[in-house]
Amino acid sequence: MTATAKPAHSVPAQVLQVHVNGEPEVALAPPTWTLLEVLRYKLGLVGTKQGCDKGDCGACTVLMDGRPILSCCTLAVMAQDAKITTIEGIPPRVPQAFDAAGALQCGFCQPGMICSAHALLEVNDCPSDREIRQAISGNLCRCTGYTKIVEAVHLASARPKNERSPTPMVSSAPADGLRTVGARGRKPGALDKALGRIPYTDDIVLPRMAHGRILRSPHPHAKIVSIDTSEAEALPGVYAVMTGADLPTPFCIIPWTPDEHALAPDKVRYVGDGVAAVAAVDEETALRACDRIAVEYEILPPVLSLDAAEAADAPLVHARDWKGRARTSNLCKEVALAFGSVDEGLAEGAASIDQTWFYEGNTHVPIEPHCALADWSSEQRLTLWSATQVPHYLHRELARVLDIPQAQIRVIQPALGGAFGGKSEPFDLEFCAAYLARKAGRPVKILYTREEVFYSHRGRHPMEMRLQMAADAAGHLTAVDHDIRIDGGGYHSFGMVTTYYAGQLLTGPVDFPAYRFRARRFYTNKPCCGPKRGHGSVQPRFSFECGLDELAHKLGIDPIEMRRRNALESGSTTVNGLFVPSTGLQECLDVVARDSQWDRRYGKLPFGRGLGVACSMYISGTAYPIYPNKMPQSGVSLLADRSGRITITCGASDIGQGSDAMLAWVVSEETGLSPERIVVKSADTDLTPVDLGAYSSRMTYMVGLAAQEAGRAMQAKMRDALAAHWGVPADRIGVGHGVWFDKTDTARQVDVHQVLILAETAEGRPLQTVGGYRTRDLGGQYRGGSIGASPAYSTTAHVAEVVVDPQTGIVTVERVWVAHDCGRAINPLMVEGQIEGSVYMGYAEALMEAQVFDERGLHTGPNLLDYRIPTSIETPDIIAKIVETIDPGGPYGAKEAGEGPLHPAIPAIANAIFDAVDIRLRQIPFTPDRVLAALRAADVERRV
Amino acid sequence: MLRMDGFTFKAAASPEEAVRLWHHHEGAAYIAGGTDILPNIKHRIESPRVLVGLSKALPTGWCIEHGEVVLGAGTRLSELASCSVLPALATAAGLVAGPQLRNMGTLGGNVMLDTRCLFLNQTAHWRQSLGYCLKAEGTWCHVIRGPKTCVATQSSDTVPILMALHARIRVLGPNGERELALAELFRFDGIHNHTIEKGHLITHVIVPLPPSNHRARYDKIRTRGAIDFPQLSVAIAARMTGTGEACVADSLTIVVGAINPLPQAVQGVEAFTGRALDDATVAALGALIKKRCRPQASTHGDPAWRRTMARITVERGLKALRG
Repeated sequence: MTATAKPAHSVPAQVLQVHVNGEPEVALAPPTWTLLEVLRYKLGLVGTKQGCDKGDCGACTVLMDGRPILSCCTLAVMAQDAKITTIEGIPPRVPQAFDAAGALQCGFCQPGMICSAHALLEVNDCPSDREIRQAISGNLCRCTGYTKIVEAVHLASARPKNERSPTPMVSSAPADGLRTVGARGRKPGALDKALGRIPYTDDIVLPRMAHGRILRSPHPHAKIVSIDTSEAEALPGVYAVMTGADLPTPFCIIPWTPDEHALAPDKVRYVGDGVAAVAAVDEETALRACDRIAVEYEILPPVLSLDAAEAADAPLVHARDWKGRARTSNLCKEVALAFGSVDEGLAEGAASIDQTWFYEGNTHVPIEPHCALADWSSEQRLTLWSATQVPHYLHRELARVLDIPQAQIRVIQPALGGAFGGKSEPFDLEFCAAYLARKAGRPVKILYTREEVFYSHRGRHPMEMRLQMAADAAGHLTAVDHDIRIDGGGYHSFGMVTTYYAGQLLTGPVDFPAYRFRARRFYTNKPCCGPKRGHGSVQPRFSFECGLDELAHKLGIDPIEMRRRNALESGSTTVNGLFVPSTGLQECLDVVARDSQWDRRYGKLPFGRGLGVACSMYISGTAYPIYPNKMPQSGVSLLADRSGRITITCGASDIGQGSDAMLAWVVSEETGLSPERIVVKSADTDLTPVDLGAYSSRMTYMVGLAAQEAGRAMQAKMRDALAAHWGVPADRIGVGHGVWFDKTDTARQVDVHQVLILAETAEGRPLQTVGGYRTRDLGGQYRGGSIGASPAYSTTAHVAEVVVDPQTGIVTVERVWVAHDCGRAINPLMVEGQIEGSVYMGYAEALMEAQVFDERGLHTGPNLLDYRIPTSIETPDIIAKIVETIDPGGPYGAKEAGEGPLHPAIPAIANAIFDAVDIRLRQIPFTPDRVLAALRAADVERRV
Repeated sequence: MLRMDGFTFKAAASPEEAVRLWHHHEGAAYIAGGTDILPNIKHRIESPRVLVGLSKALPTGWCIEHGEVVLGAGTRLSELASCSVLPALATAAGLVAGPQLRNMGTLGGNVMLDTRCLFLNQTAHWRQSLGYCLKAEGTWCHVIRGPKTCVATQSSDTVPILMALHARIRVLGPNGERELALAELFRFDGIHNHTIEKGHLITHVIVPLPPSNHRARYDKIRTRGAIDFPQLSVAIAARMTGTGEACVADSLTIVVGAINPLPQAVQGVEAFTGRALDDATVAALGALIKKRCRPQASTHGDPAWRRTMARITVERGLKALRG
């Protein structure tokens, strides 16, 4: 079959006059260009973002004559008579309030969001919560759960309209005995990101830059018989064309399992698999060239479900493994482990359950689509800017696939518009941009369409989980047995890790003495699944926490009490050998029970309203790096100088979670320098020490410890210099806020700036220190025992309150109380943001999101209209509380906060639905038709 | 990003000029707010050669003339959302998509909204993977799995309530203008669900001023509280006296939308007028709605559930209208 070549006819550019931010502007652009395209690509007003291609997400919101509109669905020619205001023209009051309230995470949806909020306040200077939520309901945010955005709009409304002075970086007192750590505060650089002043990848324009597009397979499973690119190459304006044969080296984030190519060389494995790529003068020409590439396919029967994948006569998605050995089945990875006397434990229990749950797949939906820009120097050095959360692993794989030394490659991660695990491995566009740029002899940028983001996926694996567990009459669990089938999609990705995580991460904070799991990941002809926030463990947490609720009811024990009776204690080792230095399950349960008035209300609310509880534990980084080595997992370098500033360089990826701010807080803590005087430069492989990236919730713990080590070394140099200057012993030197002092005479003080000058003088060379996080040996003494082993674990508890309409099946989650034990909260404002965003994402998975494919292998709606992520309207109230169980190993006792708080959302909502209407839902999402069907089935059962 | 290609733009200064431009240019299409046609062009569902801009051509706002509300087709949905003369229409306009889109989309555009389908409103690549569909480039309807009928959904929020309010439209063609009942605009054909000729332009929507005992409401079923098209919509308009179970309707119109290409004025509801709308009668009406409405799988949501929702939404709407 040949790709349809639809003749497109280009139209000449014309002069457009638009009035933007009070200035008349002139641009030369075709009449087919939208206002968004003209603003971004002709006028350089890159603050206005693009997220969904076609009016579904609101990232492109600008004001037209003062009213918010979608610039991606407005022709620039039609905007010529209007007054346009972009984020660059919005007065500082609202953006500053967003910054002060902690509403800026990745910052990508915020220009549009701020425009909507500003327009609201222009007509309503004291809006209610409801009015705010209505006004921003056309602006999708994936990071915040909207909680802090609503707070920010209130905050802005309380400020004078012409307010221009920024709020201080630090807005509350630090924790007892500390200088900066524990203080709430703004994120360095966040405001400039939201104002369009710090570029995201697609905001970067290079001279002579070409635009690339990737031609993708329309078939879920087919052999590539031939590809004819001659017509595409002949098209004027086309600079380079490539196919899979051009980059034959396979890659994978896990070095043992390379089963993927930059472009499919011989066979496509899902609708959307890349087969050819083009670089041309503009995107339209690249697209026209793609239309002219003739691909002949031999269609193969697709494998589209777990049952089909496991069938004896199933077609093979991969005929050979990465070592070239013939495969006999679609099994990608199997892990089976057992600890303790499982069969006895199951048999002995006073109560037991044996049920099967199904967790539907879903995906990350960062509002920023993936984008990569490649440029080669005349010395054949490659610079690649990419929207990635793992610059280091990308660096390694680029070198392998392009077959050039790593030292010749520079990877830069610009500002990143959300990731959530969806940008945590190399993708085709990065290799293709690099290859095409080399071939074309000019920079090449490739920006995914929203459809391509859905195909690149690496999201939550669909999992089918059979869970057996039992407890004695007192509610103590006696054994847990999980049998899990995992639908992996077309490639391996992190598959081996996913398969382990599905079993290994379940053993706390609820403890049990006997455990067996078998997890099997299968290949299917669908986009590849991977790590989404809570990698591998959100799904079994759903079955386990729902099963625990069922057991509690069978035994007549309150579900919170059931969890208390089985709570793992700090300093203990789980059944599978994970040492847990600290866990605050009891404290978390205390908080959510109190806030939700659990004892007074659980089980006693009117029919249709219910409460549900669930809890979870999650890793703070993994013990081992993805490729085995003894080098530091994270490196931080500090450079201080006489200007009174410290520059931090670190390979860590700030993906909106605030790792740059965390770095500034830690170094501020150690040096007494205020965070305003600390500059963070991160994620540039030419300039920054290696860090492995933003995955497995490793940043605060591992990068934080590296920063603490570097900060302490800097403090020592400063202390020695000041002690020598004052002629006192070093232990008499104290560090305060912006000043250092003599502990025996606290009136004797010197500005920290002066201390830096003294230290640089004493050093006699630039004042530099470094710190690292070194891998520790952790985990059980068995094969795979280190996978899932982490130096520290966070703990979370949720109580959800739902209303279920028994006539319609519609579930409304009114609010979620969440308590999260992150150890020391280094910046509580940011920790709250992580918790709120996690709850939002879990809520969405429970109620509406599903990445599903039809019988043809077609995604049922790869766009933001058909794949519905929650708006500000239906997102529940989220009441986030921080529990600080100080961890003995973490920086100042800190643990993770970015992923753990998602897990309990789904089972807590399921358990609340049971409390409301007495039905057990074992498949997500809890759509109204499913709820209604379950209610009817239960009604029939009751009548029988 | 999805990019567009291949058209030029001509702004019209009056409805007459718009119609003239449309007929003068081969492959012309109208564009008002652009929120419907531009995504369709990006998806290559439509490939016009010339877009005729209506922003300055169409009348905006509304006035009362001879006992009727005359609304300009160029009225923005966000303005319509504050139309206090026709509160149920205002509700419907306020429920379209999100705030930004309501600042762009027009009444005329919402009335003329092209039918939508899960198998249609997708990218060119996706539709190629599907093998296209009856409405665009293909020969097969994937919803009803047949080659003959397209059941793409009429998804406008304003149409059901306007029909329930017995609205008429004023249409301008090359040979002058005419009026027809809005209900006559539609036919059961998802490919072209409009009866007026292509290139004819709606300039006004005319709604009789509701009498004093008039009650009306519009309900939209959707997953999210914003952005989504309706999975089902129900408009009810009635002349009513009394409250509660003693409430009596002298006239009653129920229009169900977003189930197939046709906004459906449900036949047989007039049999429930002139007697008390007690709970049993409301339930009987609900049963009638369920019997008559067959939602197609062309929009999201289980069709059987949407059918149940038609019954429930009508029953609840009537009870709310009874007061």
